[in-house]
Formats: sequence, C-alpha cells, structure tokens
Amino acid sequence: MHQFKVRRLPKAPVPPATTGPDREGPRVQLRDNRALNRERLRQLVRRELTARYRGSVIGVAWSLLNPVVYMIVYTVVFSKFMRFNIPGTPYPVYLLSGLLAWNFLTQSISASVNSVLGNAVLVKKVAFPWIMLTVATVISAFVNYAISLILLAPLLIFFHVPVSPALALLPVVTAVLFAFALGLSLGLAAANVYFRDIEYLTMIAIQVWFFMTPVIYQLDQILAASHGSRLFTIFRWILYVNPMTWVVSAFQDVIAFHRWPTHRLGLVYAAAVGALALGAGIALFNRLSRRFAEEL
Amino acid sequence: MTVAVRVRDVAKRFRIYHRRNLTLKQALLQRRRGVFEEFLALQGVSFEVEHGGALGIIGENGSGKSTLLKCIVGILEPDAGSIETRGRVAALLELGAGFHPEYTGRENVYLNGALLGLPRRYIDGVMDEIVEFSELQRFIDNPVRTYSSGMYARLGFSIAVHLDPDILVVDEILAVGDEAFQRRCYDRIARMRAEGRTLIMVSHALEPIQEFCTDCIWLDRGRVRERGAAPAVIARYLAEVSARESALMASEVERVHQLVPSGRGGVGVTRVRFEGADGPTHVFETGDPFEMVIEYHAPARLEGARFSVGFQREDGVVVFSTTTDDVDSAASSLPPTGEVRLRIPSLPLLEGLFRASVIISDAGTGEPYTVLEGAFPFRVRSHRLRERGVALLGHRWELPTAAHRRSVEA
Repeated sequence: MHQFKVRRLPKAPVPPATTGPDREGPRVQLRDNRALNRERLRQLVRRELTARYRGSVIGVAWSLLNPVVYMIVYTVVFSKFMRFNIPGTPYPVYLLSGLLAWNFLTQSISASVNSVLGNAVLVKKVAFPWIMLTVATVISAFVNYAISLILLAPLLIFFHVPVSPALALLPVVTAVLFAFALGLSLGLAAANVYFRDIEYLTMIAIQVWFFMTPVIYQLDQILAASHGSRLFTIFRWILYVNPMTWVVSAFQDVIAFHRWPTHRLGLVYAAAVGALALGAGIALFNRLSRRFAEEL
Repeated sequence: MTVAVRVRDVAKRFRIYHRRNLTLKQALLQRRRGVFEEFLALQGVSFEVEHGGALGIIGENGSGKSTLLKCIVGILEPDAGSIETRGRVAALLELGAGFHPEYTGRENVYLNGALLGLPRRYIDGVMDEIVEFSELQRFIDNPVRTYSSGMYARLGFSIAVHLDPDILVVDEILAVGDEAFQRRCYDRIARMRAEGRTLIMVSHALEPIQEFCTDCIWLDRGRVRERGAAPAVIARYLAEVSARESALMASEVERVHQLVPSGRGGVGVTRVRFEGADGPTHVFETGDPFEMVIEYHAPARLEGARFSVGFQREDGVVVFSTTTDDVDSAASSLPPTGEVRLRIPSLPLLEGLFRASVIISDAGTGEPYTVLEGAFPFRVRSHRLRERGVALLGHRWELPTAAHRRSVEA
C-alpha cells in the first residue's frame, strides 16, 4: 500500500461563500481556527463543569460542596481527634496543601481516562480535534483545583500561617503539575479506547500511588531516617523516582511552611518528567486517535 | 473551475474481530489484540468534485458510502491514497450528535455549534434564525431530554444549515422529521446549492440525489462501479437493484408454487406472474402498465368460480382488492386450465413493497378452493419527492391566477 496523505489545500483561491438573498445575521470570519478551537474548548469545559449538576436544586454549587466538606472534615479530624505532629506548621494545613496538588492529579486522570470512550458518539459523528475532549476534562479539574486553592485561604488565616513571597512560585509548580497531569491523562484516555480495563487499573494505581507520595506523612522524615529494612530502602527509592513526591513537597513548602522549595533538584526533575509526559501524551494520543472512530 | 474535493486512490481497511481482546489483561495473556480479518471497505476510490458541484454517492448497504464520507471529513483515516479538500467542510453525519440531554435547546445550539465549527459571536447573530427554522420557539429553553426525536432532529438540522460551509457533506439524515420539515430541509439544501456551495451527499433514497446532484458515483463493495452524470448512473443502479430484487422475488414465488398443493377439489393455482411493459418482473414504477397473470388448473371445466385478488402493503394496509364477480357470465364456465389476467393500465401505487393474494372460490357457496394469502410480492418505485402515501390519486391543483387576484384587489 502506498503512503497515506491528507493534504488540505491552501485557502487562498477559495471564493468567499456568497451570501444568500434572505440571509440575515452578521458575517464573521469563520476561518480563524485558533479562535474556533478556543470556543470548542470553552464549550466542552463548560459542559464538563455544569452538565453533571443540571436538574439538581443547588446546581453548580455541588462542585463547591465537595472541597468545602473535605476541608472541614480533615481540619476537624486532624486538629481535634488525631494529632499528627509536623514541626513548623499545623497538620491540617500541611495535609490540605499536599492534597490540593494530589487531588488535581487524580481528578484529572480519573475523569480523563473515560473522556474519549464516554464521548463515542461525538468521536464517531463529529469531526473536530478530539484531543479537546481530554484537555477539557483536565481544565475542568483545574477549575476545581483553583476553587480549592481559594478555599484554602481562610484556613491559612484561621491557623495563623503567614503568607510568604515563596507563594510567587506556586504558578510555576502548578504548571509542572498541570503538564504532568495533562500528559498522563492524554495517554490514558487514548489507551483506554483500545484496552477498556485501563480505567480500572488506573483507579487501583491511584490508590497505591497515594501512599507512595508524601501527602499524609512528611518526606523529610522518611529521608532523614538513617537506616531501615530492605523494604524501606525500596520505598525510599520509589519516593525518589515518583515525580509527584517533589511536586507535592513543593506545594507543602510554599503554602504550609511558607518557605522556598527545599528540594530544588527534585522539582527540576519533576519538571523534566512533566514535560516528557506531556510530549509523550500528545504523541500517543495523536497516534492512537487515527483509529478512534473504528475502535469505538 | 477549481477543485473543491479531490479523492485519489483511497483505500480503507477495517478489522473484523473474531475475538477481540478489549482488556489489557486478555491482550497480555494472549499476546495479541485479538483475532481479526481485514476487510477492504474502500479500494481505489478516486473522484473530484468541482467548486459548486454536487456529487451523490449511491450504493447498497455496506458498499462503503458512509466510510467514504467519514474519510472525506477526517473522522477516519484512509490506509492509502490521498484526499484534498479546499474550503470549509461541514459534515452532517448525524443530526444532533453530541447534544447534551440536560442542556436546553439553546445551550445545545452553542455546544453543538462550537463543535461543528461556529464561533459564539456568529451563533449569537443567527440564533433567532435557527430557532425559527426549527419551529421550537416554545421549547428552546427546555432541556433536550424532553424533546421528541423529531424535535431533536429539527434542532440538529437547523444548526447544520447555518454552518455556512464551502463544502457540505451530508449522510442520510433527512429520513427523520415530518414531511413538511423535510421539504424545508431540501429547500434549504437547494438554496445552498444555488449559493454556489459544494455538496457531497450520501443517500439510500435516490430521490434527493436525483433532485440535487449533477454527478453521481455508484459504490459497489468498496469500489467505484460507475461514475458520471447523476441520472444515467442512477438509472443503471436502479436497473441492477431491480433486476436483483425481481429475481429474488421470482424465486420466492417459485418456492410457493412448489410447496403449495392444489386446493379443494383439485382446483389450484399453477403459477402467478407479474408483467410490466417489458415482460415478467416484480418491480414496477408508478404509472407503469401492470398485469397479474394467474394460471390455474382444475380436474374438469371450472363452473361458477370466482377469482379474487388483493394487494397489501408491507405494513398491512390493504390497498385494493377485487373479484371476477363483476365480469359477466363468461366467467361462469372456464376451461380446465387457463390464464386469468388482471390488467391495470397505469399502476397508481406509490413507493413500497406490496404482496398480492389470490383466492379461487365457488361464487355460489363462497367456499374457497384455494387461498394464497400474500404469497406474491412486488415492489413499486416512485421518484416523487412531493407525493407520498399509498397511491397516486389523479389530481389537479387550482390556484388563484394573476387575473383573478387582480379582480379581487380591484
């Protein structure tokens, strides 16, 4: 078989579509693809965020309820009933600043893994860049992340945690996290079309991964332990390799410990993994999406 | 003229899985993604459509029509060959695909419009027009899950016709909705044609292709069988389809004759055949001469027999039935074998699959000799978009003429 090629011819010689005699309404430039794709993405994110809560009495407020409730519960439980001690910051603040990053990752991938499969009708019947389906899910997880971040502010005030200039680094750390989450989401969403159990494997992996990431315990305490069993050594290595270790610890540093990230090399490593994941995710998605319409 | 769409040597293979490993677990255990056969859905397909041209794609189910469309709009990727398009392509493969059931009609216009490629500012401008065209004014702010399938399709089409494309690609989507709406859809497509837009249309029904398309390709098992001016290609396609269907029906009738024994008293039907202008067939067009020939046999001269014939449409509607009672006494004594002919000079039936029944009975007692209920199928084709129903009734319209109107105004 010869080589496959779809070529879109240059647009220049296309005569503008003539306007019909009784057509009204504005003629706008329809050929601006960037603007079009922005609009597609906007609509898909909107659908992602609002459609689920349609028909319920309080509507979109549901999406606020979830982070509010878990923040209150975690704060009450960990400051009144179970007292873990982490020097330098109140435990609820420590826990929630790490969870902020972790939840964005897990919300992104757990929602994205089904983002192509769950929209089979669209993929089979509407020609548009399907990658937007997954990008929109990740962006909607990001909106939830932003809400949680804002909700964290009263908590910081309540526990008298000062705001440090290191917070300026939050957008950078968030960008690393976003790239990593998006890359992973794209790869999983595309692979799930071909192997439908990826979705379930992902859910299990998230559970295990959580405990391999220093969210409830403190990274420095593990690293400081001078010796340990073989299993403990393995565990330490997993912590080192896991990019989320460094992302989460950077979140904890800038928010809970109000200081500049202490593990800078780790953060650079995480940034590299994030960029790599994003590149690989896009490449994998583009490659696999060629046969989406057949496989669905 | 410039070329709007150029398809060169396109081939598309599909995998038909005998066993498909849809999970990673199975795939790893068996070290493969499944057992499949490759199937060539399209091969060596080439054609061009000029700007402002209209191409129809016809063919039987499974001939590759929809696959070809999906390749043109970019949903499927061909395995070989190239497809070039020039200008904005709008693809209408399914009306309202991707509507969100919880969203209102209005919200879905924005969502669906955006996915199909309409910017918000543009939709803002044509919203009223879309709503008006869909006739959903009262329902546009209700969630579409409360819509009937007709309303759903109407909204979908209204969005679609406002896409303002250079090239409109339409799969058979107009089979939905009531007839008045369908008519308006066709009018809209006609207008888009008049505006110089390029049209590529797949349809199982041939009438819209006949109405809109200048050129036509006939796909047969993934290959272009014929290509040319629409009327000629359609005529050859129809001739083949009719011949095939007619042969199928003929063999069905043959089986009936083999299986059904003679009736009471040895009186029975030897053979029934339909005849058109060109001899025996089972496929007619509206207005064709139609003859039904019943060969009967009896042990002796058949005295006082009544022949009845009835036509029933596929859906059970009895279209017509008649008996030889009206014919004068000539029918009262018939030779032991012979032919009874029912002749309809111009068949007034419209499109449909019909079945004929034949009953021979004793005119005096009414007791049947033989009953062959719905045993004889025939097909009627009509190429009419405007007249529908069971039968074409002879009719004439009268409109107020210009002269008349003037007198009213005066």
